[in-house]
Amino acid sequence: MSVIEVENLTKVFKIPQKDPGLGGAIKGLFAPRFQSKTAVDRINFRLDRGEIVGYIGVNGAGKSTTIKMLTGVLMPTGGSIRVLGRDPHRQRIDNAREIGVVFGQRTQLWWDLALIESLNLIARMYDVPPARYKQMLDEFSQTLDLGSLLKVPVRNMSLGQKMRSELAAALIHEPKVVYLDEPTIGLDLIVKERIRDFIKAECGSKGMTVMLTTHDLGDIEQLCRRVIIIDEGRVIYDGPIETIKKKFGKFREITFETTGLVPSLSLPPGCELLSTGDRKVTLRFDRIQTTASQVASAVMKQIEVRDFSLSEPDLANIVKQIYNGALDNGGVEPEAADARPAP
Amino acid sequence: MRALRRDLSIYLSIFGMTPKVFMAYQLWFWIGLVLNTIGMAILVFFWRAVYADTDSVAALSLQQTLTYILLAQIFFPLTDVDLIFDFGFNLREGNIIHFLLRPINFQGMYYVQNLSSLMMRLILQIPIAVVATLLFGLQWPTDPATWGAFAVSALLGFTALFFFHWFLACLTFYTTEVWGLGVLIFGMSLFLSGSLVPLTMMPGWLQTVVLSIPFAQAIAVPVSLLTGITPLIQAPLVWLTQLAWVTGMWLVSALFFRVAVRKVTVQGG
Repeated sequence: MSVIEVENLTKVFKIPQKDPGLGGAIKGLFAPRFQSKTAVDRINFRLDRGEIVGYIGVNGAGKSTTIKMLTGVLMPTGGSIRVLGRDPHRQRIDNAREIGVVFGQRTQLWWDLALIESLNLIARMYDVPPARYKQMLDEFSQTLDLGSLLKVPVRNMSLGQKMRSELAAALIHEPKVVYLDEPTIGLDLIVKERIRDFIKAECGSKGMTVMLTTHDLGDIEQLCRRVIIIDEGRVIYDGPIETIKKKFGKFREITFETTGLVPSLSLPPGCELLSTGDRKVTLRFDRIQTTASQVASAVMKQIEVRDFSLSEPDLANIVKQIYNGALDNGGVEPEAADARPAP
Repeated sequence: MRALRRDLSIYLSIFGMTPKVFMAYQLWFWIGLVLNTIGMAILVFFWRAVYADTDSVAALSLQQTLTYILLAQIFFPLTDVDLIFDFGFNLREGNIIHFLLRPINFQGMYYVQNLSSLMMRLILQIPIAVVATLLFGLQWPTDPATWGAFAVSALLGFTALFFFHWFLACLTFYTTEVWGLGVLIFGMSLFLSGSLVPLTMMPGWLQTVVLSIPFAQAIAVPVSLLTGITPLIQAPLVWLTQLAWVTGMWLVSALFFRVAVRKVTVQGG
């Protein structure tokens, strides 16, 4: 039996329409007008025990709305959800006991209190036996480096410290299902890496089913074997990450800032010049044929580089290409349930 | 039974958590002390002016009225349920999601938080009580039975008011706009709770109106018991009436919440 089963899930929001100015406000009082917006449109998927699935899409695609329905906070307009055999909205409290949630843009911790106070209360709420709680706290103090943060009020923490604390709060009761909504948003590379490693180790070793939404394809690449891409409320791809990586992930862009004007460059195979500007050059390279360090090394031998940056493939661009049939020959149909890799 | 024990243990933890949140903002304590003293002084001078040419108003002497007004000010936190603005803020900021994700009854959690907050606010009123005694000559009741009757009535009144506010706060799930409703309810609460004017001084028809809505249950009813305006012998009847309010408001608010929560929208991604 799947841990999460979603069938024809739909959510329609009624958005009030207001004309500008005082007249519009008064008119709105007597004759309110609403526009229907379908945020999630008849989507289907299943997640098995232990799967870590990336749920991605551009802003407004319907990712967070789906997560909020899966957690039981929002009631679907249509379709059905079963999480561990329960209807999350109707059985909200029972469902809440089995899940852990991180919303990257808001905190579940008590803002004014030391982290340890929040964790104590959360452990009590989820009925974590005291001995097990102590064990988990020791473990998280190591893996998430929380030791020095336990007595710090959440409002005094940096973004990275807060996110590590959020993860501890979401996982301290060892939930069976974990929803991570943009857990690495706004974090620097080192913290991102640490959080990815933690998620991989913690959720993987305990067989947790994880649904991860993110705009960072690096998160997906490192954590997920399966990805679901959603756009305008509809699933446009459900299948192995490998297909996406092969099709869209083989190119990277690398931009160099130089100290002087850029001469014509001799580039390694698989690397091409995208643009040059005043003291700036952008290259694109095929990761199968060459590596970032080879490209950087080749360029640095020819010019003096002040700084350089690597960029991931753009998600919006990938979605656009899928619409244009980029995957038609890839053998993967949208929403193809049997395309899922084994957990 | 185990589930009940677990829930009680959680509620106890939440009860213990709220004072710590309170302590985080010490400045408010001092600002509150100054503002409350000024407010109390204005009321005392006002009522002294009202009684300048008369010995009694609505069968109450100046001393009785001042005792009532000062006690009503000291116990004002009994009416200080801020659910409408709280719901509105949490809906606007999207924080409501975390409350709904806790594996515990949402209303129960909020009630315990508010009860704990009430205890803290009452403790923080002690300096106000000292000011009322030393500066304005407040005469405290001394009969323990009166204090007992007051305590039961205050708890019942506060609980009834909490459920009433809960019902109103659920409207924000539909409107998502809270300012107008919040200000209206605050104004009504200020006047209709009896914290500014004893109920017996209101015209008969207004007394009927006031006693038909729950605001007065939290201040006018218990403070009237405390000051002797309502004789102690009537306490059981007062409690029964308040218990009926609590039961009715709890049923209405819990049912409305079950319907209203379907309308929740979580702002901001």
